[in-house]
Amino acid sequence: MADTAGVVASAPRLGLLLRVRARTVYNRVGQAISDAPIRLAAAVFLVSLIWLGLYGLFRLVFMQLSRTPLEATVAIPMIFNFFFVAMLALLAFSNAIIAYGALFGRSEASYLLTLPLSPLDVVSLKYLESLVLASWSVVLLGLPLMFAMAETTDQPIFYVLFLAFFLAFIPIPASLGMLLAWGVARFFPRRLTKAATITAAIMLVFTIASALRALRIGDTAAEVWLRSFLNRMGFVQSALLPNNWAAAGIDHAVHGKFSEAARYLGVTLANAFFLSWLAVTIVSKYFDTAYDRATSGRSGGKRAAAEASGGAAGWVFCYLDAPLRLVAAKDLRTFLRDPAQWSQLTILFGLLMLYLTNMPTLRLEFSASGWFLIIPFLNLCAVSLILATFTCRFVFPLVSLEGQKLWLIGVLPMRRGRLLLAKFAFSMTVTLLVAVGSMSLAAYMLHLDVIWTTIHLVVTFGICFGLCGFSVGIGARLPVFGQTNVARIANGLGGTLNLLASVALVALVLAGVGVATWRCRNLSPNTLPDARSLLLCAASIATSIAAGLWALRMGARHFDRVQV
Amino acid sequence: MIDPAAPPAISLIGVRKSYGRHVAVKGLTLEIPPGELFAFLGPNGAGKTTTIKMIVGLLQPEAGHVAVCGHRIGANGLAAKAALAYVPDQPFLYEKLTGREFLYFVAEMYGLHRAERERMIDSLIRRLDITEFLDQLTESYSHGMKQKVVLAAALLHRPAVLVIDEPMVGLDPRTVRSVKDLFTEHTRAGGTVFMSTHTLDIAEALADRIGIIHQGELIAVGTLDELRRKARREHSLEEIFLELTETGDG
Repeated sequence: MADTAGVVASAPRLGLLLRVRARTVYNRVGQAISDAPIRLAAAVFLVSLIWLGLYGLFRLVFMQLSRTPLEATVAIPMIFNFFFVAMLALLAFSNAIIAYGALFGRSEASYLLTLPLSPLDVVSLKYLESLVLASWSVVLLGLPLMFAMAETTDQPIFYVLFLAFFLAFIPIPASLGMLLAWGVARFFPRRLTKAATITAAIMLVFTIASALRALRIGDTAAEVWLRSFLNRMGFVQSALLPNNWAAAGIDHAVHGKFSEAARYLGVTLANAFFLSWLAVTIVSKYFDTAYDRATSGRSGGKRAAAEASGGAAGWVFCYLDAPLRLVAAKDLRTFLRDPAQWSQLTILFGLLMLYLTNMPTLRLEFSASGWFLIIPFLNLCAVSLILATFTCRFVFPLVSLEGQKLWLIGVLPMRRGRLLLAKFAFSMTVTLLVAVGSMSLAAYMLHLDVIWTTIHLVVTFGICFGLCGFSVGIGARLPVFGQTNVARIANGLGGTLNLLASVALVALVLAGVGVATWRCRNLSPNTLPDARSLLLCAASIATSIAAGLWALRMGARHFDRVQV
Repeated sequence: MIDPAAPPAISLIGVRKSYGRHVAVKGLTLEIPPGELFAFLGPNGAGKTTTIKMIVGLLQPEAGHVAVCGHRIGANGLAAKAALAYVPDQPFLYEKLTGREFLYFVAEMYGLHRAERERMIDSLIRRLDITEFLDQLTESYSHGMKQKVVLAAALLHRPAVLVIDEPMVGLDPRTVRSVKDLFTEHTRAGGTVFMSTHTLDIAEALADRIGIIHQGELIAVGTLDELRRKARREHSLEEIFLELTETGDG
């Protein structure tokens, strides 16, 4: 036998791992260009669209601020501070999820652990991967912000410094995220569901607390509210927080104080290096133990939970006949037992709730002007886009995921296409609950009148119907049988088409409602809109429902014929 | 070919592992010398995969210790891992690499020189009949194709210890025959094969010794003849297995 032990045991292998990763990326890109150029073009188009939208938004904000230089002096560092604090929280959280999956969830980690690799090599690889993934935020958020802001300064070195601050900042949340993931694996093994539940509960409590606080100051003038708000958020400007270093550094760069900017850059870089070293060292030193604990648990008993969710499903889906009710109940259980699904929905709508519950502070400002309808309309846009994200990511793969069990469904005493009804009922129930809940809260917080509350709720129903119909119908027409990874199903050709169709549908419906809203912007509350505006809203809702029905029918026909 | 003074290829001493309150492996002690093909049998949930994962360093025992070729897993894990190769029941391959690129990666990981690498790859792709699809992305492979490439990758550096979980699942009869021959040649050259399987015919035909684990305890270990004597039956391994594991229940 070859004695390779001495040869390989001492050699670092990070370079080899990085080369393999580069090769997989090269192959992936080559495959995307040759096999799915439309999908690639669609992705580039959508990213560009988001990029342009953000650029326009940032530009608008900076142009407004540049008209009042005094306010801009105070507001711009503040905006950057909030921007970076949001980046810090979001990137730390997303890096924690990415790092947990990469280190303790994927089969690649198991494979690498059986190779003669030091944990330092494996952890370094995963850390660099999460850094690269997190760097997408630079492309998506940072660059539009940079170009929009560059118009307010004539210093060309601003671009270099801005990018430098971004790149120096990103390792900080990435390190925190990796430490968080390791901590969960090490100290809360196999309790991810519980951890996610606790996180969701904390978010809920925070939302309610914010709502109460917002209501308390709801009757004060905007200026007082702004001062109170800034006081409450003063902690984000603490000199010890990295968001403050990046924000202050960029502000100095804008004003041509380059030595000050360089000092802040140095502080940010030093902390980024230190935290990266600390995270990689701690995680690699105790990686074996954390991996062992994360993979040594057993799934707890589900009997009681199964009975409870079965009972709930029987009640919620009482309008379905028995076989379909059972399929919908099965989907509900799967949804409840998959934290990746419900936690994303909770987080997205939790953040929306946080925003909505802070709305009352705006009502005095906007109720007197035409804004009283515009703000609720923007809320409707936000809810619709979140719904589209959720249905494309989680509802679309539902039919494909049945691929492994098609032999079972194929022998059931019912038309196979009817299965789509169960999928549709399940997705409508989940999406309607959160969407109608959010829109009702938004209407209540803004004291929206009954007429427009009703219109928005019916539009929400229509959008839910259309989006769920699209995702289930297109999911059945272009399924990816044999694939069990939800993300890969959603990222396939069918998933991309569904995403484009869903975005187009939402845009169409919102355009109709938007025009109606604009026409009625000067109406006083509780005044019935004119017939044309009502007709526009009705036509939008009808279009969405008809599109959903059409997609469902098309999917059911195909699903009936599909070869098992 | 086999050094009599060499340490055991695999050594488990008083190894224990539990998942919560469930004890998966209870004080397992087992030594496998170099050059042996050891078949590890047991009913579902008996503790086979947990034992294998402790041998390859994926899980850590709560008590006792595991060593491969005298290198303790944990304390001297890199040297132990350099001496072994592991083929799990669900083989892992990088989906966006071709089979050949994956084999090159493994060869470089174990420090094989170019000439040695090419020689071994040529030999293994011929023996396992994988030439036809080796330059396709592995995402398009069937289970059997993946199993063949993973087997080739495992044998590439001629490991002192080959640990393999269900080696024949998904393989066609011709490849099964090739794999059997490869295992036999490997043990004749001084290598050790630790094979977990439910295919008792293969264990009966190939294994030098057989171990049966039941409810986390090693209830029998020895050659087929020794197991027959223990079970007081002159029959097939299947009947011995059923007899011993039924006794274990009681």
